[in-house]
Amino acid sequence: MMEHHSSIRPSRAQPPFASRLFWKGLFAGRSVGELVLVYGLLAIVLVETLYPLFWVLSGSLKTKEEVIANVWGLPAGFAWQNYTEAWRVAGIGARILNSVVVTATALALLLLVATPAAYALSRLRFRGRNVILALVVAAMLIPPQVMAIPLFMTVRDLGLVNSRIGIAIIHAASNLPLSIFILRSFFLSLPAELEDAARIDGASRLQILGKVMLPLIRPGLALVTIFGFIEIWNDFFLAFLLLRDPALQTIPLGLVAFFQQYGSMWNLYFAALAMTTLPVIIVFVLMQKQFIAGLTAGAVKS
Amino acid sequence: MLTRITRIIRRDDDATVAALMLAPAAILFSLFFLWPFLRGLWISLTRWDGFSAPVFIGFANYAKLLGDKLFLGALENNLIFVVLILLLKNVLGLGLAILLDRAIFLRGPIRAAVFIPVTLSFAATGLLWSWIYNPVFGLLNAALDGLGLSALKMSWLGDADIALYSIIVVDVWKWLGFHAVIYLAGLQTIPDELYEAARIDGAGAVKRFRHITLPLMMPVILINIILGLSGAFVRNFDIVQVLTQGGPNHATEVVMTYMVKTAFQDGNMGYASAMGYALFLIVALSCVLLLGLMRRSKVEM
Repeated sequence: MMEHHSSIRPSRAQPPFASRLFWKGLFAGRSVGELVLVYGLLAIVLVETLYPLFWVLSGSLKTKEEVIANVWGLPAGFAWQNYTEAWRVAGIGARILNSVVVTATALALLLLVATPAAYALSRLRFRGRNVILALVVAAMLIPPQVMAIPLFMTVRDLGLVNSRIGIAIIHAASNLPLSIFILRSFFLSLPAELEDAARIDGASRLQILGKVMLPLIRPGLALVTIFGFIEIWNDFFLAFLLLRDPALQTIPLGLVAFFQQYGSMWNLYFAALAMTTLPVIIVFVLMQKQFIAGLTAGAVKS
Repeated sequence: MLTRITRIIRRDDDATVAALMLAPAAILFSLFFLWPFLRGLWISLTRWDGFSAPVFIGFANYAKLLGDKLFLGALENNLIFVVLILLLKNVLGLGLAILLDRAIFLRGPIRAAVFIPVTLSFAATGLLWSWIYNPVFGLLNAALDGLGLSALKMSWLGDADIALYSIIVVDVWKWLGFHAVIYLAGLQTIPDELYEAARIDGAGAVKRFRHITLPLMMPVILINIILGLSGAFVRNFDIVQVLTQGGPNHATEVVMTYMVKTAFQDGNMGYASAMGYALFLIVALSCVLLLGLMRRSKVEM
């Protein structure tokens, strides 16, 4: 969306006396005063956003004493042992594995279940379709958090407390309504002729879904995956309720437990935080164009 | 005859295919969404410790909520949270989006940078800010020292009067970039010619904002507020749990944290369930109220 803005936005009229105000053309009509103000304020926002993250990185390389004595400055040396120590003490390897298992299982299940449902609700004609659609929309308006207690009870009755697969299923279920809704809008945007042609050639619905439709709604699948990933990977609430066994804790739960268990090992906390958040930030920075394009496309669509 | 048999074998009519395609979603949804939702309604009408047989007590749990000072305090905190969060995120988000829209160099990288906190978990964000707020060597107090404002140094999360607002700042910090990105996309659909024409007519920056930007952005703003409303009510467990666990002395208690305590510390599942549904009712009523207000203001416009 963003990336095409120059083609959407009508071109700016040439200012008169272009030669006299040549810098106005250079600055796209902004005065120097305006630009100073804009970039001054943006600089404040950037410092407020990025300095805390930089602080974590710099703190993760300081010694325990240095963290307290030298709050602002850069580390005197590189205390890399913070990382090996934090990795070992906080059990980061196991936490990452748990988070990967939970998130991957939940996303796979979500896509596998939501895609055919969204296809049926957008392309097939059958009785009760509108009732089911209304149910999907109603479910989107119910925040799953308010039914945390009965959800916990149901999970307990099924023997799925302290189960990574169990919590993955819950994540898939609570992301289901929104995902079906998003995918359905992508299916609806495809022309019907496409499907009719494949039908005449004798393809079954399942073949059409798999071979014709899926490649075309890939942006929709990506959007659902991105939303789901942020939600599930970062989840604290459900994991707090359902993963009581320390060995099964995901990254967010493990970080908090580590923080609450060990008194004042700030340098280790910084290292643990850096190790677990930097990979996500790097992936985001690499994919940010697609990421933000998908997000704004979704917002504009709704 | 033969074609009918093959049709039945192939089972390719819409209704059958639809049933097969919807079945997995229906099972998942019924078991882990619909059933808990209905079951919780029943639980909220009982006295139940989660293990023994539940005792039906009608609406007694809901009646008890009305006289529970801790619950009402949590609800009040929750409402302060909702109002301030919606206000700050949308005002600051729109402001940041306007800055980004007016910037010409480095717009993409700056936009990406302000979005980074959105990708962090509340656990990581909360831990980060509990260091920033640390009264002894936290970044915030150190910054105040550096600016010569030592008088303003505070125990940001330990002082019952300001802890709630400290938490609100963290939530706004985390989500600011998200709102800015959405608003920026909206701003870029406004044609430059409108601003150009207004400038020629002698309208200043404030007038251009009031008469062009604000009216044209209104639909986006309203959608943002509606979409953010239920989240602002219920998505505060993580940040409160990580930063203060509802303390000091319940000063930052919200309904979600109080509900979890009631269920898992006091073992009162019926009462905790009632809190969840009471909160849901309040969210739904607020949504209806907000939509009604919007419809009326639209008629006036």
